Amino acid sequence: MKNFRRFIRTAVLLTGVLMLSGLLLADAAQAQSSVRPPGQAAPLEEDSGPSNALGGASDADIWRQIRGAEDMGGPDLPAAPGRNVPLYEDLMRELQGGIAGGTSSTAANSRLIQMLGEDWRHIRRDYILPYAGWVLAGVLGLLVVFRLIRGKIRIEAGRSGKYIPRFSMAHRIAHWYLAASFIIMAITGLIILLGRPLLAPYIGKDATAIMASASLQGHNLFGPVFILALLIMIFRFMKGNFFQWADLKWILKGGGLLGGHASSNHYNFGEKTWYWIVVIVGLIMSATGMLLLFPWVTDVLAWHQISTVLHAGGAILLIAIALGHAYVGSIGMEGSIDSMLRGEVDENWAKEHHDLWYEEVTGKKVDHKTGAIAQANPEAAE
Amino acid sequence: MTLLEFVEGPFFYFSAAVFIVAALWRLVGIIRIGRKKDIAPARGSAVTGFFKGNLRHFFPRGLFAQRTWMHLLGGYGFHLGLFALLLFAAPHIAFAERLFGIELWPAMPRWAFIIAAEISFAGLIVLWVRRFSDPVMRLISDWDDHVGSWLTFLVMLSGCLALQEAHDSLRILHMGLVNIWLIYFPFSRLMHSFTFFLSRGATGAVYGRKGMNP
Repeated sequence: MKNFRRFIRTAVLLTGVLMLSGLLLADAAQAQSSVRPPGQAAPLEEDSGPSNALGGASDADIWRQIRGAEDMGGPDLPAAPGRNVPLYEDLMRELQGGIAGGTSSTAANSRLIQMLGEDWRHIRRDYILPYAGWVLAGVLGLLVVFRLIRGKIRIEAGRSGKYIPRFSMAHRIAHWYLAASFIIMAITGLIILLGRPLLAPYIGKDATAIMASASLQGHNLFGPVFILALLIMIFRFMKGNFFQWADLKWILKGGGLLGGHASSNHYNFGEKTWYWIVVIVGLIMSATGMLLLFPWVTDVLAWHQISTVLHAGGAILLIAIALGHAYVGSIGMEGSIDSMLRGEVDENWAKEHHDLWYEEVTGKKVDHKTGAIAQANPEAAE
Repeated sequence: MTLLEFVEGPFFYFSAAVFIVAALWRLVGIIRIGRKKDIAPARGSAVTGFFKGNLRHFFPRGLFAQRTWMHLLGGYGFHLGLFALLLFAAPHIAFAERLFGIELWPAMPRWAFIIAAEISFAGLIVLWVRRFSDPVMRLISDWDDHVGSWLTFLVMLSGCLALQEAHDSLRILHMGLVNIWLIYFPFSRLMHSFTFFLSRGATGAVYGRKGMNP
């Protein structure tokens, strides 16, 4: 453990130094105006493209004006000549009636505007982007409050110094493999999702663009690694994660948080719920992620739009719960990290948190009201 | 001189020089140690044992294979993926061609690059997790092992993050890390890339000379 702590400190220090160096390098390079087209892109001549056909407004500006950007908190745009602003609501009413129009996009099914896209845009802009950051900040705040009120959850009887095996090497590798890929996916995903509203105001649009580009590559690359890790974890941890009668008692006692001792098997109800959330949401994330990675699988735009919403929502849910899981599994509860680092746990920890499992693997009886070894059978307790 | 020109120019030349000189210094030093003369009559060939020792250790024996299959998969996945990326990635070949001024072999397609990177990352994560999860591995690992793993991981990661080739900053980050990695390499256990065949060969030669299978 001492070596591991020293290693963690070294790793964090090294990572910090390297990241700082990277940011300094990035900043210096940015000063040299380094943004250029992708390597494979055909070189464009300086004067290529339409010669100012739209006047002072771009396509995006015109569409923002059609939607009434100023009313919706958008930028104060220069008026495009010959257009009434805003005519968004009238236009939407007309289009709801199903006016067919010509379009060069096969995916749009010859519709002038895909109305679901407008709903998707609103969900993304008005709900996902504003609330995603607040949900995560809220979870972190809750953990801080929980820590201040409850403090570190100690082993009440203290460490016994005797250890019993809990997770095999295969279990631990499956767990950390998923954790490592999840952390990379979470960080890169959050930069992609929230970089523009959260990072750009502080580090600038150019630096945000660089981080988003890097995150996109990393996210796409590690996606399949995450799926592989998820599948390994699902099969490796399935045994023991089905609900049992003891879980009902555990729920009624609030997992011991409301006072008293809550008995549990190898996994308690909270761990089982976390497992099944990871399974279900993780598989949804994988499916939607693959669709976003290979969008040509279907030309139904609705699938892509639903995928982005489910992917973002699922990610926020998983990250939020993972924060709590990581807290309780490490600094929040004495002795819990041993199970995933050493593969074994202190006997007293096992009695207090997983007494039914402890009885099963040791053959000793535990007082289910306190988590201590039952005194009625002193021989068994030895 | 821009920062990119610096990390791909003078800094890279310095790092490569440190890498080559120090690695050669260590290899020659190991070979020059020699070994005590064996006065027992030879019952087999030490030279054959040297090569057999190297080849046989590419595959674990039956009993060990069952216990180390994850380590085995992770190890082969990481190293083969890394070599594929190092030698056949299009940006690497383009860089080497510019450096040496000669045309090299064709690059692997992008899909192959992605698969090689996936396998390599998966293997590296498995190996690193095993390093701190396995009680024996944890005891025999020190900061050098972890720094080597992390540096290699960051070099690979920064390379993949720069895959779009749209921002010089990301290329600078990758090349900067490559240069640090090159300087660190010969003074660390990353040298096992070159020394593994010597240690396997030495063991094999001793056994071979005794007429035993290494």
